[in-house]
Amino acid sequence: MADKKLKQKRRRPDPTSDDESELPFKNILKPDQAILETLKQLFLAATTTTTAAANGASTSSSSSKPLTLSDLSLSATCREVTDLSLSAVQSTIETLILQIARSILAGNGFSFQVPSRASSNQLYVPELDRIVLKDKTTLRPFASLSTVRKSTITVKILSLIHQLCLRNIHVTKRDLFYTDVKLFQDQTQSDAVLDDVACILGCTRSSLNVIAAEKGVVVGRLIFSDNGDMIDCTKMGMGGKAIPPNIDRVGDMQSDAMFILLVEKDAAYIRLAEDRFYNRFPCIIVTAKGQPDVATRLFLRKMKMELKLPVLALVDSDPYGLKILSVYGCGSKNMSYDSANLTTPDIKWLGIRPSDLDKYKIPEQCRLPMTEQDIKTGKDLLEEDFVKKNPGWVEELNLMVKTKQKAEIQALSSFGFQYLSEVYLPLKLQQKDWL
Amino acid sequence: MPIGAVELPSRGHWAPSFAIPRGRSSPSPITKTKSPAEFFAENKNIAGFDNPGKSLYTTVRELVENSLDSAESISELPVVEITIEEIGKSKFNSMIGLVDRERVDTKLYDDYETEKARERRLAKEARAQELQAKNAALGKKVKEPSATKGAKGRGEASFYRVTCKDNGKGMPHDDIPNMFGRVLSGTKYGLKQTRGKFGLGAKMALIWSKMSTGLPIEISSSMRSHNFISFCKLDIDIHRNIPHVHLHEKRENKDRWHGAEIQVVIEGNWTTYRSKILHYMRQMAVITPYAQFLFKFVSEVAEKNVTIRFSRRTDVMPPVPVETKHHPSSVDLLLIKGLIAETSKGTLLQFLQHEFVNIGKSLAERLIGEMGPEFSPKMAVKSLTSQQIVRIHQLFRQAKFDDPSGGCLSPAGEYNLRLGIIKELHPDMVATYSGSAQVFEGHPFIVEAGVSVGGKDVKQGLNIFRFANRIPLLFEQGGDVVTRTAMKRINWSSYKINQTQDKIGVFVSIVSTKIPFKGTGKEYIGDDTKEIASAVKCCIQLKSKIVRKIQDREQQERKRNLSRYVPDATYAVYDVLKEISKFHASKKRRYEEEEEDVLRKVQSRSITKETLKEMLAQYVEKVDYEMALEYATQSGVNEEPREAIYIQALEDGYNFTDLHSSNFVFRFIQ
Repeated sequence: MADKKLKQKRRRPDPTSDDESELPFKNILKPDQAILETLKQLFLAATTTTTAAANGASTSSSSSKPLTLSDLSLSATCREVTDLSLSAVQSTIETLILQIARSILAGNGFSFQVPSRASSNQLYVPELDRIVLKDKTTLRPFASLSTVRKSTITVKILSLIHQLCLRNIHVTKRDLFYTDVKLFQDQTQSDAVLDDVACILGCTRSSLNVIAAEKGVVVGRLIFSDNGDMIDCTKMGMGGKAIPPNIDRVGDMQSDAMFILLVEKDAAYIRLAEDRFYNRFPCIIVTAKGQPDVATRLFLRKMKMELKLPVLALVDSDPYGLKILSVYGCGSKNMSYDSANLTTPDIKWLGIRPSDLDKYKIPEQCRLPMTEQDIKTGKDLLEEDFVKKNPGWVEELNLMVKTKQKAEIQALSSFGFQYLSEVYLPLKLQQKDWL
Repeated sequence: MPIGAVELPSRGHWAPSFAIPRGRSSPSPITKTKSPAEFFAENKNIAGFDNPGKSLYTTVRELVENSLDSAESISELPVVEITIEEIGKSKFNSMIGLVDRERVDTKLYDDYETEKARERRLAKEARAQELQAKNAALGKKVKEPSATKGAKGRGEASFYRVTCKDNGKGMPHDDIPNMFGRVLSGTKYGLKQTRGKFGLGAKMALIWSKMSTGLPIEISSSMRSHNFISFCKLDIDIHRNIPHVHLHEKRENKDRWHGAEIQVVIEGNWTTYRSKILHYMRQMAVITPYAQFLFKFVSEVAEKNVTIRFSRRTDVMPPVPVETKHHPSSVDLLLIKGLIAETSKGTLLQFLQHEFVNIGKSLAERLIGEMGPEFSPKMAVKSLTSQQIVRIHQLFRQAKFDDPSGGCLSPAGEYNLRLGIIKELHPDMVATYSGSAQVFEGHPFIVEAGVSVGGKDVKQGLNIFRFANRIPLLFEQGGDVVTRTAMKRINWSSYKINQTQDKIGVFVSIVSTKIPFKGTGKEYIGDDTKEIASAVKCCIQLKSKIVRKIQDREQQERKRNLSRYVPDATYAVYDVLKEISKFHASKKRRYEEEEEDVLRKVQSRSITKETLKEMLAQYVEKVDYEMALEYATQSGVNEEPREAIYIQALEDGYNFTDLHSSNFVFRFIQ
């Protein structure tokens, strides 16, 4: 209905009114109060389903206590890791090292059974809506030319983690790499083995006390404690609060927000933060500046679980935008062993969706033709289970592959830099236009 | 033949049309005929004489290639000596009989330094000196002050005397003036794999010397049967395209030398083309390991002198390429006309049958039948009209003929390529491959390839060596089919080769009666000729050979590679053990009996780092032995076929002391 009105207006050329129509669609925006009403409905829907789930009528999509692997009787056994305490990690390492030592002393060398993290060993479980790791393992013997390096690095990392456990400190992945640059050669190698070690020990990467540098930021109606300090994310200036790399020191989350807005890009995040979008519509804004790191994913999940807020995502209208969305939602293949802790269920795709390009009349010069690689990625995504389960997404992706056009969030800036926060997002919220 | 009219370029495939420039600014209505020599003088970049540096390079390569051709034509193992002698300005002036003159009006010159510029320069030099003194005081490495050459004015050209001596065929005494002093005076007819680019050879160098120094070229030559040396000093009359002989005489031939020695003085630039010329010599040595090269650069400054000897490593020479007839699908209209004009055959049938390859009698008859009713086998070939020749040409293009055989080609040979690579690069491993003859537009071609890993003086990453008709190609590498294939279409990682870290040498040699060069410089082969691209790709994929070699190497180095990681692994294990044993004392945790035992031993230091290291090393040794045994039983003991090695003969005139044994003799030179 609103659409119709709008189209009539657009068809009639009206050169006199250049003050209001400068921002297209602004005139159909209802007052904020009305939009807040719709948001309230969304908020209530999210909380009620949670309570319903708590009452036992569990639905897989948005329940706060989701199914676990053990609840499902899957044909293939799957591997999952849990958070382990430091002392547990320590004693697991000790047992492992003692085994190795005895094997060496017995003259048998040593080898590791490493859970394979290859894509052939991944499984998307629709009931859980995330990727999990199957139980295939590979042998990593010391006495083979192809694995001698890796097995040596594995021992080295184990011994380093053991030290961390003893001293009860955290180090970054970079620190870890610099302990023996000569052996590790480059950081990707030590990082990869670190994930292997987490798999071998059966614990999450965060339980190894190794963290990555801060990447994600959060701003908005959120108060939480970081290592005992209370942080008010409305009073963090324009840049917001960096998401702490180790989630275990985060706690006491409080919020009066109605939803969480997940933003792919730093640029859009800065726009929203500067415009104090979260004051107009109470929300929490999060970005990981591209592909999300572990900390941001953990943080998002924690917010979702504790505050029971709906999550709306604002990503680019290209295959990578959707991919990033999928990493938040279903987990990455590389970290699938810990997907239970890293994924946030029920993320809504708010924008920018391929259908928005025409709907919001984004001018041609702001759209980019998709490269062949893009199209291929798009078609590959269409084959992925996590896309298929959502018919709306399939439709959008089909449209993207068909029109061969992509657009970034910044394409909206062609209507003015503040179009995103002033018109686009409010309108989207008003129309409940998410999938 | 009137001056200015040109015969078909004999070796070239590139037929310049010496069209007469019409109606330029010249008001004269008389069209001026341009001599071929003039044409090349004006378009010298086509023949590789773009600038002084490149001219020096091209002169060297033309002379070297001529020498190789000459020696190979009489099946003599080539010995080529090339000398570049730098000639200073005053020496050059005295050579041409010009008196050195001091500058009187200094402001007249381009490189005149104004008062201000001079002040600036002095200040800068003083600063540089200060800095240097400081660095020296601090014990830092003092960099050689870059030779403070003033900007070279245009007048400051460098001149070089290039001398090339070989042991080839030599030239008949009376032919020498025409062979050098007339451009495109070849008389050969037919098709042959040749080194030369345009059939210009030393002539272009002569034109260049005429243009840059005005000094004549000096030629000494002797043929095997001759007991004298022909000496000739000549230059070229560019406008009339005829030789201008200064001196032409017979001299005594004392040491029965045969071959040619050509000396030319040209403008050049050694500084900028030094590396190109040296690369050229090195690559030439790779592709012609049966030749011996002595390269010398002589300068007035002693430390700039260079002497490199590329010694002979084999006496196996590829056969001399055979001249062959044209393949019907490769000829053009002009060529058919030329062949008709030259043929000794009377009838059309005979003409088709004898002037082309792959046309037998029956095929010739079928072709004539297909041409139309106005053709008959018995018709005189010289009576064909232009239209009829066009018809023949059309049919040639459409009809299907057997592919030409590669018999007329002379590839370097897998053996020689391999030897050349080993000799010049000393790689850790090398694999070579020789393809069979294939066809591109009616011309047969053969691709040979080699891949080497490691070696001396080889930079990391891909080093590509391209050869066309056994001469190295150095310029315009980017667009070349070989470069592109090696960079883009080969997945090196599947050979377990790291494209950026390993020192990879890729050697591709293409021989053909016509190399499909791209660009005017004839410096690269186009990437768009699919036949060649796919042949190159096949060749570089020496997969099984390389993988096998790598396996062999891995076998040899397995123990070393495994042992290398023993300390790292054991120290890491021991570190943890030590920590555990410390806490073990406090009995925080219960361990199994065997574990307790280990921990106690660690505590009592009966198990140390060294114990672990030793045990792991022993294990590695055991595994290595087992795997070697397994590898041997799997692959058998079939080693590579043994290759004959060539040991260079000593020259006479040594006294030896022999030490005899039942199987061999040691000879010591006294």
